[in-house]
Amino acid sequence: MHEEKTILDIIVNPHVVPHYVSFAVLASLILIVLALIFRASMKLIPRGTQNLLETVGEAMLKLSEENIGHHYGKTFFPLLATLFTYILLSNFMGLIPGFVSPTSNINMTASMAIPVFLATHIYGVRAHGFHYIKHFVGPVRSLYALPLMILMFIIEVIGHLARPLTLSVRLFGNMVAKHIILIVLAVLAPAFVPMAILGLGVLVSVVQAFVFTLLTTLYLAGAVEEAH
Amino acid sequence: MKKLSSIILLTSLVLLLAAPFAFAEEAAEAAAAGGNRIDYFKFAVLGATLGIGLAAFGTGIAQGLGLGKACEGVARNPGASGKITTTLIIGLAMIESLCIYALVVVLIVFFVNPFKI
Repeated sequence: MHEEKTILDIIVNPHVVPHYVSFAVLASLILIVLALIFRASMKLIPRGTQNLLETVGEAMLKLSEENIGHHYGKTFFPLLATLFTYILLSNFMGLIPGFVSPTSNINMTASMAIPVFLATHIYGVRAHGFHYIKHFVGPVRSLYALPLMILMFIIEVIGHLARPLTLSVRLFGNMVAKHIILIVLAVLAPAFVPMAILGLGVLVSVVQAFVFTLLTTLYLAGAVEEAH
Repeated sequence: MKKLSSIILLTSLVLLLAAPFAFAEEAAEAAAAGGNRIDYFKFAVLGATLGIGLAAFGTGIAQGLGLGKACEGVARNPGASGKITTTLIIGLAMIESLCIYALVVVLIVFFVNPFKI
């Protein structure tokens, strides 16, 4: 969408660097600067914004450890917390006029979904070795059930391939739909109706960030579970 | 009387469903010289509205069922209302994403113009 004028047009030429890239860099810079500021002034008894950050961090750690287990819970905590905060910040940036949300482009959401997909398989193989293939063949695992195992394998592969697709399209579709509804309602019924859509947009932004992180957690938990 | 009214309703329903095809054929002949672009967008509009309408229909039913069961759960056990609400919101987001897939297909048909017409 190069016709849109955004606030970073004064620094970066949109024909050289697309909008979603420059705003993604902006979001990353904001997160890094915030993290460095709070790391430099951490107190044992939290005051102010440190409370908020500790709440978010604790919630993500609890999510990770509850669903994935104690063995790998702390390994995946950085990935999950980064995904959540980055997607949340990117989604919120779309609500401000003059800003573009980087997650409203399929490249950005796919760039988050594909590493998750690769991570599930790599960590699954690392946790289980070659027995990871047993996740794909279903509950009945004897030589006499070979046709069933082959059928289950095909279906599981299709299901696994659908995961990065649905993760990215869900986030992208929600953000684009929010943007389009805002534009259409701003043309049709300006001033008050778009405010209701902005409220809905805030809810959708938070929920979609949480759903992405939760699904990532569940996929990772399914890949490294120790039950077998 | 009931049989007559049902015959009339069925006939009008068949006419209503067949009308777009009859008109489309005439209009297609008339506009074939004007370009395939208009044709493409005529059918694209029809397909898009039907697609999103059906997707929203299914989504409405599914989310309504989920919401009903969630309300029932809260009524049975008001203490668990926090957990039930969280689970409900997550479930609604998952169901909503099915409608979003249909929306993405419609957006692709309209804006990405995959057939280069």
